[in-house]
Amino acid sequence: MKRFAAWILAAIMVLSLGACGTKKQSNSNELVIWHDKEESIISALSDCLKEAAPELQVVFEKKTSLTDSLKLVGNDPAAAPDLFIFAHDKVGVFAEMGILAPVSQFLDEKTLENYLPMTLQAATYHDTLYQLPLYFETLLFMYNRKYMQDDEVPADTDALFEYMQANTGRGRYGFVEQHSTAYYSAAWIHGFGGQIINENGQPFPEGQPIKDALTYHKKFVELMPGETEYNTVNTLFLEGKADATIGGPWMVPSARNAGIELGIATMPVVSSTGKPLAPYSGIQGLHVLTFAAKEKAEAVQKLFTALSQPEIGVKLAVASGCAPANSLCYENEDIRNDELVQSMRKTAEIAIPMPNIPEMDVMWTVVGNLLTDVNLSHKAIDPSFDAALKKANDLIAAMH
Amino acid sequence: MKSRRKDALISYSWSAPSLILILLMVVFPIFYTGYISLTNMNVYHWFNFSIVGAKNYIQALFVFDSGFLSSLLATILWTVISMFLQLTIAFVLASLLNMPKLRLRKLYKTLLMFPWAMPGYVSILLWKTGIFNSQFGLLNQWMEKLGAQTIQWLSNDVSAFICCSIVNLWLALPFMIMIMDGAMQSIDKSYYDSALLDGASWLERTFYITVPAIKSIIAPAVIITVFTTFKQFDVVYLLTQQAGAQTGSGFHTILTYAYENAFITNNYGYSSAISILIFLLLIVFSAKFELKEE
Amino acid sequence: MSSKKAKETAKLTAVNLFFILLCFVTLIPILYAVSVSFSGQNSLLSSDFSFIPKNFTWDNYKEVLFGEDIGIWFRNTVLLAVVTVTLSLSLAIPAAYCFSRRRFPGRKAILKSLVLLNSFPAILSMFAIYRLLRPMGLVNHRLGLILVYTGTMMVFSLWNTKGYFDTVPLEIEEAAHIDGANDIQVVLKIVLPLARPSIIVTGLMVLIYVWNEYIYATTFMTGEANYTLAAGLNALQATEMQGSWPVFAAASIAVSLPVLVIFFLCQKYMTSGLTAGGVKG
Repeated sequence: MKRFAAWILAAIMVLSLGACGTKKQSNSNELVIWHDKEESIISALSDCLKEAAPELQVVFEKKTSLTDSLKLVGNDPAAAPDLFIFAHDKVGVFAEMGILAPVSQFLDEKTLENYLPMTLQAATYHDTLYQLPLYFETLLFMYNRKYMQDDEVPADTDALFEYMQANTGRGRYGFVEQHSTAYYSAAWIHGFGGQIINENGQPFPEGQPIKDALTYHKKFVELMPGETEYNTVNTLFLEGKADATIGGPWMVPSARNAGIELGIATMPVVSSTGKPLAPYSGIQGLHVLTFAAKEKAEAVQKLFTALSQPEIGVKLAVASGCAPANSLCYENEDIRNDELVQSMRKTAEIAIPMPNIPEMDVMWTVVGNLLTDVNLSHKAIDPSFDAALKKANDLIAAMH
Repeated sequence: MKSRRKDALISYSWSAPSLILILLMVVFPIFYTGYISLTNMNVYHWFNFSIVGAKNYIQALFVFDSGFLSSLLATILWTVISMFLQLTIAFVLASLLNMPKLRLRKLYKTLLMFPWAMPGYVSILLWKTGIFNSQFGLLNQWMEKLGAQTIQWLSNDVSAFICCSIVNLWLALPFMIMIMDGAMQSIDKSYYDSALLDGASWLERTFYITVPAIKSIIAPAVIITVFTTFKQFDVVYLLTQQAGAQTGSGFHTILTYAYENAFITNNYGYSSAISILIFLLLIVFSAKFELKEE
Repeated sequence: MSSKKAKETAKLTAVNLFFILLCFVTLIPILYAVSVSFSGQNSLLSSDFSFIPKNFTWDNYKEVLFGEDIGIWFRNTVLLAVVTVTLSLSLAIPAAYCFSRRRFPGRKAILKSLVLLNSFPAILSMFAIYRLLRPMGLVNHRLGLILVYTGTMMVFSLWNTKGYFDTVPLEIEEAAHIDGANDIQVVLKIVLPLARPSIIVTGLMVLIYVWNEYIYATTFMTGEANYTLAAGLNALQATEMQGSWPVFAAASIAVSLPVLVIFFLCQKYMTSGLTAGGVKG
């Protein structure tokens, strides 16, 4: 009898749960946007949209496992969003999967002319633009003015190395970075004229520049801690134990909170090649899903018209220090005085957008392994490179 | 005859709901993965894939290279060591916790359960950054205070193996202690009383009463743990192999190896084929394992 | 006699000391998190760490308890946990009893294959489960998660309860049958009380799994209002670049505490009826 009662109870509970499930309406003016950004960016966006396009009901839904979820539900109008905000580097994967719609149909050509060329180039895959850029992020050379004077900021890598030699030891570091992480060390590879992957999906198109970069970089690594992860590097700089670092704009608020007299400089130039350390850049923007492009074209068009106004970029920059993709924003007074945004604008000229081809997905791991092999496990460069090249080719072949 | 059939029918209907759920959530994914492994579902044919036959399996055989073999050996070693430590330590602790007149046992048990109460990825992150980090980790801070050389705990294969084992032990012990403790509770205390009268020592009581009594109760939990240990991914991946935070260790379990050499390609058909092959491997091993048990 | 007593006291003290030390060593990583969670500096690391936080503050806990939607997440988690545990036990117990007591064709084969099937490396199962839930309209629906959780834990629940049922002496049941009790009465009145520790262990195991699971919870559920505690915690950490470590540490501790409280309270019931009651007969 008791068990019977328990069964009934369970059934009732299950049914009552069923009743409170969410249902999705298909209002043609309602747009659901997935994102994984901080609150400040989303609230700035949503405030702007309420003013600029009051007839739209834009719902922002935070989704932590955004890319994995899209792989599951991307072609399912009942479960997928209409748009999502993400970095441009997954454009190739999603376009090949067939869940992304080209965005130029929602914008007139003149609007696009206002965007920084790098941001448009970044999200173009097979000659088609798949993203309306909002803002971009690049790595910056940051230093602690308490220890590194403005005139001490190294202009080239040899000067940086000298500075490191003179200021590293007894628990202090002249310079730290996430030395064995693909995203960070790409700047060094680019500085030597190398490429992690080219636009045809060929890994390490030229081997020599990468080997040169690895060889040259190694002596820098020896003057840095044996950890490559974010927390260590971040903490060293924030505790004032490292004079300089390379970091993203996301480090700036915590540096200011920690009371660091933060200086931001342009990236040093590689002494032997004369090329600057050119970091990857990531462009955050809106992607439209295929079915939304068909069924809600009008609403998406309105949304894009509203979002391509420079005011939005300005507000985002003021709210959270993002560097707007729209070049018109840089005429604004506040933006012109913002040191952080201006340095990113400057770095944007040398920065290289992360490759957006699907093949890049495996390169993060391959390059990471190559770097740890050389820098942390102290393996010889040539065989490590050959093994990495073979692995990259195998993995890319395995993608098909 | 009729009543036997009726009896069986009752048994089936009582167990049907749970078996159906297992069918849906455990068995169906296996068959689905098997089906996908025969298709070309990859980035280029994500939603419009078609059957390609054994192509993925042929390709998958190339992953089973020397790197795979050494990770397989490492995985077996890892499983054996982890299980041995888990069983012995959990047994000793559970026996001690069952000592008569231990007033604070509830408090001890609760505190020892703490590692289990936290989401696994949080504890692994705590170990990685709080304890093992070569710059700031507690271990190296203590080493420094003792005047010893600091060590990059996770960079070297052997020490990474040991560190991963410790964390895995830390994560798994609470469950094992609880299972053993629960099993010991169910032993009839009168056995001990009569054994004491016969003058049996603690060791004798342990081996002649406790072990045989709990063996069959804990067997399912132990077997399930053996499998979980064998296919451990999170501990090793998050401690040493996570993209962007690799430590330079070469220690791989078969799953982290398969992850780095197949799953990251986004080729779902190919990855499915590898999952199925690993599954078959596990079945082969468990057949041997079971023979030993009996 | 008194020397024997002294020896026993010494033994007891030694065991107590051992456990105090062991608890401390075990809890070091947790104490680390506790210290970070009370710290005013936004860092997971520090070059001169101490277990007593330097700029002691309650702010991080305040932010966790009032800043995030933790109330809603807590409610979601409790709801999921209660329903999943109830469902798991009410499905597993009758099945386990059948497998333990009754003999029917396929019994051994099913039992064995269950363990094997459970060993499937489920890293890629997400897609299959999605394909399954989608036609039923259970994606982005709590019932979907409940079914996934119950199904995933079912093999363990079934095997674990069966293991204990096997230890309950048949004679007790036979006696009850002779007294005229039917199967259901025997299970409810005799077997369940005797197997109470196993029921609680199984229930706790399911509870902890649901409490800490975040992969299905974040993939299948959309919107912060549907987060579970573990999913919310994961979201706090996923925005690592801007995230606040002390708040994350505080949230981790706060999420774990309810489980420990439940565990502590359950211990009273974890002694078996076999030893507590006078059923030795």
